[in-house]
Amino acid sequence: MALEQLKPSFTGQAIPIHLPHWRSRIYGILGLLILLTVVVGFATTFGSVQIPFSAIFGTLLSKLPLVDITPTWPSTTETIILDIRLPRIILAGLVGAALAVAGATYQGLFRNPLADPYLIGVAQGASLGAVIGFLLPFNWQGMGFGLIPLLAFAGALFSVAIVYNLARVGKTLPVTTLILAGVALGALLGSVVSYLIINSGEKMHGILFWLMGSFSLSEWTEVKVVLPYIVVGVVIILLYSRSLNIMQLHEEQAQQLGINVEKVKLILLVAATLITAAAVSFVGTIGFVGIIIPHAVRLVWGPDYRFLLPLSVLTGAVFLILADLVARTALAPTEIPIGVITAICGAPFFLYLLRRKKRIVFF
Amino acid sequence: MRSKLWRLGTLYLVLVMVLSLIMACAPPAEDEVSFPIEVTDQMGRVVKLEKFPERIISLAPSNTEIVFALGLGDKLVGVTDFCDYPEAAQEKPKIGGFSIPNIEEVVALSPDLILATQRHEASIIPALEGRGLAIFALAPKTLDEVLESITLVGEITDREEEASQLVSEMSNRIKAVTDKIDNLPEAQRLKVFYMTWHDPLKTAGGDTWYEELITKAGGINIAHDLSGFPAINLEAVIDANPQVIITGVGMGTGEDLPLQFAKTEERLRNVDARINNRVYGINLDLSGRAGPRIVDGLEKFAESIHPELFKED
Amino acid sequence: MIKLELQSVGVAYGHNLVVKDITFQVMPGEIVGLIGPNGSGKSTIIKAISRVISLRSGKIFLDGKDVFKIPRGDLARLLGVVPQMSILPSAFTAFEIVLMGRNPHLGLLQYESAKDMAITWQAMERTATQPLAERIVCELSGGEIQRVVIARVLAQEPKSILLDEPTANLDIRHQVEILDLIKSLCQENNLTVVIALHDLNLAAQYCDRLILINDGRVHAQGAPGEVINSRNIREVYGADGCVYPHPVNGLPAVLLKAGNSRHAKPRDTIERGVV
Repeated sequence: MALEQLKPSFTGQAIPIHLPHWRSRIYGILGLLILLTVVVGFATTFGSVQIPFSAIFGTLLSKLPLVDITPTWPSTTETIILDIRLPRIILAGLVGAALAVAGATYQGLFRNPLADPYLIGVAQGASLGAVIGFLLPFNWQGMGFGLIPLLAFAGALFSVAIVYNLARVGKTLPVTTLILAGVALGALLGSVVSYLIINSGEKMHGILFWLMGSFSLSEWTEVKVVLPYIVVGVVIILLYSRSLNIMQLHEEQAQQLGINVEKVKLILLVAATLITAAAVSFVGTIGFVGIIIPHAVRLVWGPDYRFLLPLSVLTGAVFLILADLVARTALAPTEIPIGVITAICGAPFFLYLLRRKKRIVFF
Repeated sequence: MRSKLWRLGTLYLVLVMVLSLIMACAPPAEDEVSFPIEVTDQMGRVVKLEKFPERIISLAPSNTEIVFALGLGDKLVGVTDFCDYPEAAQEKPKIGGFSIPNIEEVVALSPDLILATQRHEASIIPALEGRGLAIFALAPKTLDEVLESITLVGEITDREEEASQLVSEMSNRIKAVTDKIDNLPEAQRLKVFYMTWHDPLKTAGGDTWYEELITKAGGINIAHDLSGFPAINLEAVIDANPQVIITGVGMGTGEDLPLQFAKTEERLRNVDARINNRVYGINLDLSGRAGPRIVDGLEKFAESIHPELFKED
Repeated sequence: MIKLELQSVGVAYGHNLVVKDITFQVMPGEIVGLIGPNGSGKSTIIKAISRVISLRSGKIFLDGKDVFKIPRGDLARLLGVVPQMSILPSAFTAFEIVLMGRNPHLGLLQYESAKDMAITWQAMERTATQPLAERIVCELSGGEIQRVVIARVLAQEPKSILLDEPTANLDIRHQVEILDLIKSLCQENNLTVVIALHDLNLAAQYCDRLILINDGRVHAQGAPGEVINSRNIREVYGADGCVYPHPVNGLPAVLLKAGNSRHAKPRDTIERGVV
């Protein structure tokens, strides 16, 4: 076994400093970083409108400081690349990363492979907020975005706060109660949302489209608003990745190893909820990413959260950027709701991974 | 079982014979129509009426407008929540929403004619038919079919004269538009982007009647190759560079969001329509209702696309 | 070197007072065994010391400090616990599980260094779990898992160790190996060790002192010879006449014979020629 080729340590005894599968995980991170860059470039090149590669390259280059290129392309090209495609790609990457890492975090917190970022009511709360925003007779624009994202964000946080308070027992937060409360509240909110949708008249299409998720009108202001939440949240979660590992030992043992289980639970819950709420409020409730990407990463690279979390960030970003690319080019110029793409592309891929790897235990 | 069938069959035969005897001996009806009349509606259903309707229910605003336009307002006993034109329609008893009328209310009003549309095909029409009510469906997909629907309504309500008068008025107005447009050279037809909603960005495809409105008004629908009411990519709109943008307004939000979007969205700023300030909102009550005011809609489209040809009068 | 002290400790589950009044001390370099029948409260005492359950009454001091007031991180550096049944996440490798034992010595942002790896590896060597390093938990037997958990506690480098039935799933070779290991570690590093054991023989062989618990109270305390005698065994376990001196080292040995319980038929004992 590969343990034979080990580096001798200061004790004179060989120890496996870089175990084989750790090496593959580090390569995985590097590889995905490169892949992400490639995918971003790829996605910028393609779209509903055919634009020659030279024009794309030129546009991007001309935006760098100190570079002076006289444009040989129409100004609409610049608008398309810089104001439509690029913000859309970046937002898709951010949202994909956020949902994937939030899903991985919830799976670790609840020690449950069926957990996803919407488990404790974020999706239903956001949907309710958004539907209310749609149905209100007035609109409001401020800070570059309107009422709907604001209400969706508020709705998401509000419903999780309710679930948290329902599940809390003194200072502790039993995870099973949290799941039950989340499912119950989610069902209640979901039924209210359904009722509102039925009575929404001509706005029904818009609402349903929002619920299925879409990047179709993403713009830079949205990216700017969402970016801080997602970056901060992801960083916090990554900081606690080793703690999340140890929490897989179940709470007693984790406590005995010095983890302040309740504090870690609360911090991770808040961080994961914030990034999910931020992701969902502008884009709608895109399903599937948050549950499948962490599992796919686990199947390939194992359950160690110190690698699982950053790998999920990168894989989620790559996946959603590609899914959005398909959504806007497959039937161009019309758009397919991205929730459909994530389901269609994701399910068979996951089944394939399951069949390929002989080991079925990966959680 | 078989003997029962025999008995029913014999009874039926006897009834028919007696009825035809009576009808043969009876004096002819005053307006030379012999009942029961059978009219085929626009969904291919054959509707049989024993007499001209006295209690009409309309399941769509367009049908309501047609009914009033033919002078049948007093026979209208039920309308939908959305029937707001003419004003008298707002006083009528309401039987529910557009796609989901309240079946009980409809039945309770004892109508002898219900005017439905294509939307009701799946469940409403069978449900009402099952209760033995007469339903006539209007499902026009083109301007001509709208005219035809008015004629049909006239036929089953004994208002054939009013119908034909209305139809000829409307035809004339349509002709006034198309005459000017037919002579327009191809190059002068303008590219039009019709926006039904802004988020998601939706347009009307080549098989909708917006295509017809645009084309008859001298425009070219940039979504001509699409069908239905699909979402369209903003990139594609920018690339198509429409010279005129028209949005549907008046959906009851108070703020006309699609129009605002069309006028203010940053990324559309370089499109011809925005540079030349050719962004218009046309009320959906005019362009989206398959009733007499569709001609108003057409005229509005014409004025928006070719103001130089259609001065306001 | 730290001292463990329990003073009049009482623990309850809901209304059920399981541990009623327990007082004892454990000095550094000493292995103390908790023995007693099922339900007497041994596991509960272990849980109380490791701060998993709160006390109904009394206090527990570790290194002079109240266990319930020490910050968790400090407690984890002082105390390692081998629980009765470990549920480990099934997809991690044994090495990763043992490596988790280094957590109390690492800050939030720190990752394991070469030194941590070396300590982990050494802990695995001493528990004979090195061959299992790359295997994932779900492939391990109950005994192997137990040894991995013990390795994890060793990697934790605590000053005191609590073990709740650590040899329950092990075969005799590993039972002896593990207990020898614990004994030698205890003596080398002056650790304070408390072991809850079912097996009275192992308890007698390895523990410096024994505490016999019955119905939540201390029935007897002292050297193995003083605690494991016929009278105590009969009073606590209801089993008669099974304590014999070990032929090699004279420590008390409990040898069971069939027919000693109330279920036995008198005829059996006579036929087998047993008194």
